[in-house]
Amino acid sequence: MSSPFLLSLPLLVVGAVLAVALRSNRASAAVALVTQALAALLVLVGVWPSLRGGQPLQQVWPWPAPIGTITFRVDALGAFFLAWSLPMTWLGTVYAIGYLRPYFARGRHGGPHFALLNLIAVSFVLIYSVQNALVFLLGWEVAAVAAWLLVIWDYRSQKIRFAGFNYLVSTHVGLFVLVAAFMLLHSKTSSMDFHAFGSFLGRASPTRGGIFLLLGIAFALKSAFFPFHTWLPRAHAAAPAHVSALMSGVIHKAGLFGFLRFTLLMGRPEEWMGWTVLAFGTLSALFGVLYSTTQRDLKRLLGYSSTENVGIAAIGFGLGYLGWSWGAPSLVAVGFMGGMLHVLNHAIFKCLSFYAAGAVYRATHTVDLERLGGLAKRLPGASSLFLIGGLAGAALPPFNGLVSEFIIYSGLLSGRATSPEGNVMLVGAAAVLGFVGAVSALSIARAFGVGFLGSPRDPGLEVGDEPSRSMLIPMLCHAALALALGLAPALGIELVRPALEQFPVGTHAALALAPVGSLAWASRGLMLVLLLVAWLRWRQGLTARRSATWGCGYTALSPRMQYTGSSFSEQMARIFQAFTPALRRERITTELFPQTPGQLATHHADAVERRIFEVLGRAEELVIRASQRIPAHPRFAFAAGLLTLLLIGAFALGGGPR
Amino acid sequence: MMAWIANVTSVLVMPFLLAGVIQRVKSLWSGRKGPPLLQPAYDVLRLLRKSPVYSATATPIFQIAPWVFLITAAGSAVIVPLLGSAPLASFAFDFVWFAYVWALGRVAMVLAALDTGSSFEGMGSARELTFATLLEPVLFLVAAALCLRSGTHSLYHALVFDAGGAVLLRLCAVLALFIMLQVESARMPVDDPSTHLELTMVHEVMVLDHSGPDLAAIVFGSMLKLFVGAALIATLLNPWAGQGTLLAAAVNLALSVLVAVSVGTVESLVARIQLRLVPEYISLALGLGAVALLLGAWGAGAGP
Repeated sequence: MSSPFLLSLPLLVVGAVLAVALRSNRASAAVALVTQALAALLVLVGVWPSLRGGQPLQQVWPWPAPIGTITFRVDALGAFFLAWSLPMTWLGTVYAIGYLRPYFARGRHGGPHFALLNLIAVSFVLIYSVQNALVFLLGWEVAAVAAWLLVIWDYRSQKIRFAGFNYLVSTHVGLFVLVAAFMLLHSKTSSMDFHAFGSFLGRASPTRGGIFLLLGIAFALKSAFFPFHTWLPRAHAAAPAHVSALMSGVIHKAGLFGFLRFTLLMGRPEEWMGWTVLAFGTLSALFGVLYSTTQRDLKRLLGYSSTENVGIAAIGFGLGYLGWSWGAPSLVAVGFMGGMLHVLNHAIFKCLSFYAAGAVYRATHTVDLERLGGLAKRLPGASSLFLIGGLAGAALPPFNGLVSEFIIYSGLLSGRATSPEGNVMLVGAAAVLGFVGAVSALSIARAFGVGFLGSPRDPGLEVGDEPSRSMLIPMLCHAALALALGLAPALGIELVRPALEQFPVGTHAALALAPVGSLAWASRGLMLVLLLVAWLRWRQGLTARRSATWGCGYTALSPRMQYTGSSFSEQMARIFQAFTPALRRERITTELFPQTPGQLATHHADAVERRIFEVLGRAEELVIRASQRIPAHPRFAFAAGLLTLLLIGAFALGGGPR
Repeated sequence: MMAWIANVTSVLVMPFLLAGVIQRVKSLWSGRKGPPLLQPAYDVLRLLRKSPVYSATATPIFQIAPWVFLITAAGSAVIVPLLGSAPLASFAFDFVWFAYVWALGRVAMVLAALDTGSSFEGMGSARELTFATLLEPVLFLVAAALCLRSGTHSLYHALVFDAGGAVLLRLCAVLALFIMLQVESARMPVDDPSTHLELTMVHEVMVLDHSGPDLAAIVFGSMLKLFVGAALIATLLNPWAGQGTLLAAAVNLALSVLVAVSVGTVESLVARIQLRLVPEYISLALGLGAVALLLGAWGAGAGP
């Protein structure tokens, strides 16, 4: 089968070259937009049959040694990811034009930036369609380096260069792990073709378990799973808004795609794999959301929320794994359906949130919650869009986040595990997911309430204009999608269904377990009543009397007395002190008549990041100190050495996969 | 049709009655006669006739939030067997909807509170959300325990399955839901609804700036949530639940009133616990939910 699908690759590359070569920013942007739009169109036309459940698109390119031939094969899974990745990248490019305008006005050349956005699109086409490990790695690396260069747009700031470097190192650690897994597979199959990998992975063997773990770590690093998330908040805070949005919403979904791709190659997994994925997903969701509650920086907060959301998707995947290993097709269906739909939903609402945060940054030059406040009155457009993104992110009705979480819940709570223990574990995961949902509601209420409501916290803060049209259009598109997929979930489900049918979901209606239709009716009813009442009340409120906020008897109120973001999350942080340690820097005067003003600064640290580096940095010392505890008598030393060797041996032989 | 009329009537009447009963019980415990049973209804009617005053800081969110709160409370009432028989709507895993619709109402109230820029209201909303996070898993644990035990998936079917049986499981579930009810409706020992000190409030302090019909919506919404919670417990305890008879409905309503009496009694006899101990009190509910889950999963606690 021949198709113009692959023409998108040279098209995008030519666009990238032209974007760099052209002198004017306007022309560069136009070239990037046109080539990306054409490429997206070509890809959509190409993958349309696969999206409709038809035959996969396959094309073989001859290539010089050592690769031989490259097989491009877009099955329904790749088609699903391609179908939204390229259009969303296009929207991000549209946003970039408005967001970067002040830089252009100062004479900065945006050509390379637009070229990099084109290269991101190239990497999607490669990663989502290629069947050869070397070319897959190439796409992987193009995405990583392009994302790094996009992050350090403001390269003059040392902080941003550091964040970029941190990202670059982390993503390459992941690359090493991925290369290791591919080398192992190559040594077993002497091929770099995914098809050959699949025939090896299909048989249970200890190596298979090892490769599963290696691949899992590599993909988890890409998608910023806990505890591999430490690079993410930095990178998201440093990057321009559209880059954060694309990284969080679209680029890093490649990790989850890789995971699903190898799941399909592997075939029926073992039960421990399912529990591992479920556990990692639950931990990611839990810690991601806990860390998001204490952030002052709006974009860091959104970054942590990405870790939470990939965790939720992974809970779905873990459920699918378990269902597969137990031979329960309905669990496979709801698990992978919920997970994949959540990937799409997250891309929709997280891009929206980042874009809105970027609009705030454009207008105020800060995203520090403690300095914002009262934005809803001065930037009503950007504020309401941020609220929509936030509500969707907290899985509140009637937006799209609830649909995918509902599907995952329905699997977790269905009681279809093969043992009571299994059921208890699944319900436990559901309870954690409930907690995560409530905390993300807290987190978003805090972000919106402190940053956008009330009165301005920093009187010196100048607030500029509402977002320009090129920033507004992508936001409106994403907001409309968030609402549409919430009110008509069938749209999203139909998009995912062909990909889902690659998994063993049986012949019966794959989603009988999750009554999404009923949920949608409930959401629609709620939406209708809400709109009606909101409209009535708003009209009535136009003429209502206005007065000052009740100060509980105190009359000299000032905006500085408002509840801050830190005070809002203080109680939550205290309950989970072990994970969100509060760091204080204080200089408090003790004189009776203080001459010098005191100072107090607090911030909440990422315990994992601190502990990991603490342990890594002091590992030697810890080992030495532990060994000093052993009495100096040679008999004890010998026994300790023997014990260590035995333990290591036991781990190597028996501790491996069953 | 009859079921619709009965359910809607109970939604309109029972919340006032339960709130009145709690007031009356508290009065009796403290040796007073107390206001009429339907005093809460008179209060709401009085508020409805007034015209609202809005804070100059506030945005339209502040005006809309009370009604979002009321609508979400009503949205949750739709799936709960208020009269011990089939609710107005029921679908598999509707309790997920229940949890998230309450969360929406809560977020709306919190945003309205933060919209005024008042520090006290910010304080109350932070507490409200923090407690709610700990409370959220309780509902999932209890509902899942009942689902596992009954092999069904909707709240109604799980609640009425084996009515009168599975005593131990029911006991744990009822106690966990009772604590949830106390926290959600801002009752002692978690929150003191009649205090005058803003610093110690949770729920009351969030609504300081609301007035007129908006305040009426909030007051009625809270009472409705109380009724919904009480109806959950009542259906669990009702041995005739699920039969759809007049007897089942009467017993359910009587049990709801009984729940209100116990809420009032606890409130009269127990002092308010320290705020920093509230999470521990809620974790008691979590523990009960976990025990219920274990009982449900292994099918133990099945009565005769």
